[in-house]
Amino acid sequence: MSKRKIRLSTVAGYVFTLLAAVTVLIPILWLLVSSFKTDAGVIKFPPEFFPEEWTLYQYLYVGDSIPIFKMTKNTVVFAGGVTVLSLLFDSMAGYAFARMRFRGSKLLFSIILLTMMVPFQIIMTPLYIEVYKFHLLDTYLGLILPRATSAFGIYMMSSFFSGLPKSLEESGRIDGMSEFRIFRSIMLPLCKPALVSLGIFHFMNNWNDLLYPLMLTSSQNKRTLSAGLAVLVGNKVIKYGPTLAATMISLAPLLILYIFCQKYFTEGVATSGIKE
Amino acid sequence: MEKNKGKRKKYVAHNQKCAYLFLLPSMFILSVFVFVPLIASFVISITNMNIFMKDVSFAGLKNFIQLFKDSRVSNATFNSLYFTLLEVPLQIGLALLMTVCLAKNNRYCKLLRSIYYLPFVCSMTAIGIVWSMLLDPNMGLFAYWLKQAGFDTIAFLKDPKWAMPTVIAVTAWKGFGYTLTLMAAAVLNIPQSLYEAADMDGAGGFQKFIHITIPGIWSTISFCIVTSTIGAMQMFDQAYVMTQGGPLNKTETVVQYIYDRGFQTAPYNLGYASAISVYLFVIVAVMTLVLRKFVLNRGEGADE
Repeated sequence: MSKRKIRLSTVAGYVFTLLAAVTVLIPILWLLVSSFKTDAGVIKFPPEFFPEEWTLYQYLYVGDSIPIFKMTKNTVVFAGGVTVLSLLFDSMAGYAFARMRFRGSKLLFSIILLTMMVPFQIIMTPLYIEVYKFHLLDTYLGLILPRATSAFGIYMMSSFFSGLPKSLEESGRIDGMSEFRIFRSIMLPLCKPALVSLGIFHFMNNWNDLLYPLMLTSSQNKRTLSAGLAVLVGNKVIKYGPTLAATMISLAPLLILYIFCQKYFTEGVATSGIKE
Repeated sequence: MEKNKGKRKKYVAHNQKCAYLFLLPSMFILSVFVFVPLIASFVISITNMNIFMKDVSFAGLKNFIQLFKDSRVSNATFNSLYFTLLEVPLQIGLALLMTVCLAKNNRYCKLLRSIYYLPFVCSMTAIGIVWSMLLDPNMGLFAYWLKQAGFDTIAFLKDPKWAMPTVIAVTAWKGFGYTLTLMAAAVLNIPQSLYEAADMDGAGGFQKFIHITIPGIWSTISFCIVTSTIGAMQMFDQAYVMTQGGPLNKTETVVQYIYDRGFQTAPYNLGYASAISVYLFVIVAVMTLVLRKFVLNRGEGADE
């Protein structure tokens, strides 16, 4: 009796999880295949999942209705720039907190941890004013600089550095290396996995971010993919076909990265969740 | 001896200087772009200031008095709370249910977990565009399928009654894989010996779940509850992309209203936008404190 009950619940579990997987996959697959539909195929009624006729038309002419190349370039520069700079600055600061003794270290670290609790909406208006006053509105620098370090990154790197053995930097010091050389050539190479996880975290968040780039850019020329698409589609000036192609283009880089580096996507997340 | 001490002191001083140099870039950026705006936000909220920043004057509590009389603020607050109170339990409950089925490290569970994580990788903009099209009452594929299955046609995002539940469902759809990843990692960390001991005592699956799994991952659950509540109270992207706050402002959230008053609608009243930010900040802070007190305390109790 008990055995049959377990079997029943196992079957129910399989049905439930498979059903959920289908629900998750269908919209994404629908986007993928629909981006190969013709204009008529996209608005066909009754709607069909697969295109009747496969075409590359939407991808070839998406540039005519959406400034997709400019938006992609902006997103790459913004997300890439933020990722590179914050990996450097986060690891430097994290290293200082984990491996160096200096006055005010504890106080400073707790202040930084507190900023993790500060929600974006409370700083967004003054941030806008600052960037405006620095004449950085609508520039790459203005988009990248405020994001070039993060409390979370500093925290994550510092806890990673704390776990490394002390003898490493001692040997560097005996060899007469400068502190920066020790950091650069001994410590940094050791934290590649942490750097990749943190890098992906920053890259994904900034690639997908909406409110922040929306606020700090005013011209279509500097809009990122997610901000630009949201505005264009919201204004209903774009046909369905190009919208589908552009949406697919905006997702493709992260999806491909996820398929190949899945471990780093979820590992960074898992360590961030256990910390509390 | 004296000489050595001097050398040591010099070394420490040098080391300190180095540490400050390592911290300099981060400290500079955090000060300019987080600390200063944080303080400035409170200051701006008591001024009359628009986006052109001319004729700035002291307003006292005027913005805050106006805020409490503004029906769009109370409407947005209601919407944000409505969204949070439904979305957070839905997402966490769904993830917890999945955790029961999928917290193993075999190939099937790993594959399904990585499928569920997919929407989390995608931008809310893209997800919003896709779901708006699928749920379009006239030509959307999902709307059509539901009709074929015999359900009444629902306008989903265009129906004042259904818009917010739809936004909630899409958000949970996008986020539960992330929560599941956190929880599964926590479950896999529970020592197997606890389950074996329970087996020997003849405990059933449900009993093991209540007495071992839940207490074992409570810190992760409470982390999820606190962070997703904070996140949900700041909801913006979903409504901006899928409904623009409509229909009839039924999905307009507080952050969206801040953005609207400050940056989208003339006269771009930054002072008033800041006042609403401060108001939301206080609400979120209070909610966080309350949650921390109850959710985290309960966890400690369960551990014993």
